[in-house]
Amino acid sequence: MKTLNKINVAKSALPRKIVSRPAKVAIRQLPTGVRGLDEIMGGGLPEFSFNIIAGAPGCGKTTLAHQIMFANATPRKPALFFTVLGEPALKMLRHQQQYSFFDPTQLNRSIRFINLSSALLKNGLRGVVEEITREVEASSPAIVVVDSYRNVTRKTIAEENELDLQAFVQRLVLLLTSWQATTFMVGEYAEAEMRDNPVFTVADGIFWLSQNVERNSVVRKLQIIKSRGQGSVPGLHTIRITADGLQAYSRTLGLLQEKVRPAKRRRLSSGIPELDKMLGGGILEGDSLLVAGPSGTGKSALATQFLAEGLRHGEAGVAAIFEERPEGYTARAGTLGMDLRTPQKNKMLEMLYLRPLDLSVDETMQEILDAVKRLKAKRLVIDSLVGFEMALAPGFREDFQESLYRMIAALTGAGVTIFTTVETADTFNEMSFSHYTISFLTDDILRLRYVEIEGQLRKVITVVKMRGGNHSKDIREYIIGDKGVAIIGPRQEQYARLTTGLPDRIGQIKELAPEPKAK
Amino acid sequence: MNRQGATPAMRLFAECLMAYETKAGPVLAGKKPPAVLVCDKLRLPLATLMGNAGYRALMARALTLAKTETPWPSEVVIKPDGSLGGWETLEAQDDPQEMAEAGVVLIAQLLDLLTSFIGEDLMLRQVYEVWPTVQLPQGDSIAQRKNENTK
Repeated sequence: MKTLNKINVAKSALPRKIVSRPAKVAIRQLPTGVRGLDEIMGGGLPEFSFNIIAGAPGCGKTTLAHQIMFANATPRKPALFFTVLGEPALKMLRHQQQYSFFDPTQLNRSIRFINLSSALLKNGLRGVVEEITREVEASSPAIVVVDSYRNVTRKTIAEENELDLQAFVQRLVLLLTSWQATTFMVGEYAEAEMRDNPVFTVADGIFWLSQNVERNSVVRKLQIIKSRGQGSVPGLHTIRITADGLQAYSRTLGLLQEKVRPAKRRRLSSGIPELDKMLGGGILEGDSLLVAGPSGTGKSALATQFLAEGLRHGEAGVAAIFEERPEGYTARAGTLGMDLRTPQKNKMLEMLYLRPLDLSVDETMQEILDAVKRLKAKRLVIDSLVGFEMALAPGFREDFQESLYRMIAALTGAGVTIFTTVETADTFNEMSFSHYTISFLTDDILRLRYVEIEGQLRKVITVVKMRGGNHSKDIREYIIGDKGVAIIGPRQEQYARLTTGLPDRIGQIKELAPEPKAK
Repeated sequence: MNRQGATPAMRLFAECLMAYETKAGPVLAGKKPPAVLVCDKLRLPLATLMGNAGYRALMARALTLAKTETPWPSEVVIKPDGSLGGWETLEAQDDPQEMAEAGVVLIAQLLDLLTSFIGEDLMLRQVYEVWPTVQLPQGDSIAQRKNENTK
């Protein structure tokens, strides 16, 4: 007991600094120079890490290495790019200078290209290590790239033994780490090779690039298989090679930190007072609302009215349209008395026309997210889900619902109200909403449909679902006039089975047709 | 690019480089002529960039193109490391003007080749690595580019 007391006294007498845990080493993160990749990496490239950039030919491995070099090299801490029996340096420079990130003023000043082919052919691995050592010790580089490392090892496997290769890898890692270089070994590998190759064992990070052909479309993906010391976003991320080099689109769309909806939310007007009443006062801010209906029922008109109403109240909006060009969409809104041209000029409204048939879902969603952020938009229209899906490369369609869910959840969580349209086929014996599994995508559902009444194809609207509160269960008739959608009648009580589209007349009141019949 | 003659701009540039090397020291018997010195100096950064084999291939192509413009002794060859071999036979030429012209054409062809692969900007950067103070005739497009690059 006495001893225990002594210990207690001794501990409490120690200065706080000594008993508290010493500070952990802070790993600095370097920018990748690739849009979206820093976020996938969990902030950037860990400094002094030893990395592999692997994948099949044509995936963008060399371009990725170049982007990293150009983003980090300085005259004081340059980048060394060692080429080994791969793409001739002249051709590499010829092609890489086409990208916007390629800054020729950095060449020889902060970026140096060194060919190791002779060293490898003459002296094998020893020659390569000696050459790299000489260059590294001479310039203390921040970044070192060996392209293609695969060619170094291929020759070694053919002529030297496995132990030599392991010793080589070990020497290389020790050298480059000790000299405080962040290193990238570029190589064409198949996944099976990861098991037997010592370089994969010692690597701190593995970037795996792949390219798949789906029907007529090419889909490129990136996976961070390994990233020691920091959390990267797991899974396959879409990449695209553009004039700016590689662009990466995180699976999470950069929206990991979802905000929590405030308990009290405003109700936004749809722009149609009668519809607002049906919605219990309007659409709850931050809701995702789906309008389902067949062609010609006024889904786009409703969406436009929703946007225009927001603009009237100073709320910026974004419309992602897939089936019509922005000019046509704007002009049609004009015929319904809504001016979308001026807010576009005033940067209050952005119309994204996304129709190319090779889009990746993440890329498209990133475009939408960027526009929402740019404008600080409060209202987003997606017109329509069917067009959106059609614009995607076939290989991405499988991911569509999952990505859509992520985007909608994140945006609505951040307080953006989303108005999505979807075309449904009207059958005359049931009322379907869409072929998508929509319940998890939407808070609110509006259903538009045609009904045959007294020799006319008339239109009815009903609120099917409202997650945030009570709503009208009425089936109301509406028309599309010169001011857009207008709900014209009270609850329809003269007919039963309206939802089938072929109602039975049960009332006795003689009513006028809402729109004149042809004579 | 499918061409035969070296471009006038590169000929001018080649002349400047040779003049620079001539200024560095008179051409004496047994000393490498300016064209060979220029090629040797260019070999260092270019072989570092593209390897000996790469530089050798480029020189061999330049020599082949040069031979279509000016006569070259058959003894002049490109060695495996990319350096010029048999250049001593150039000295045996009767006409020093002809010898100088042959050198200008070879270097101009080499620079033209580099330009066609990596563009004038990167080609100039490689050359200025070796001769950072080389003076180029004013009014020439390359000279203008150099001034822009060194600003």
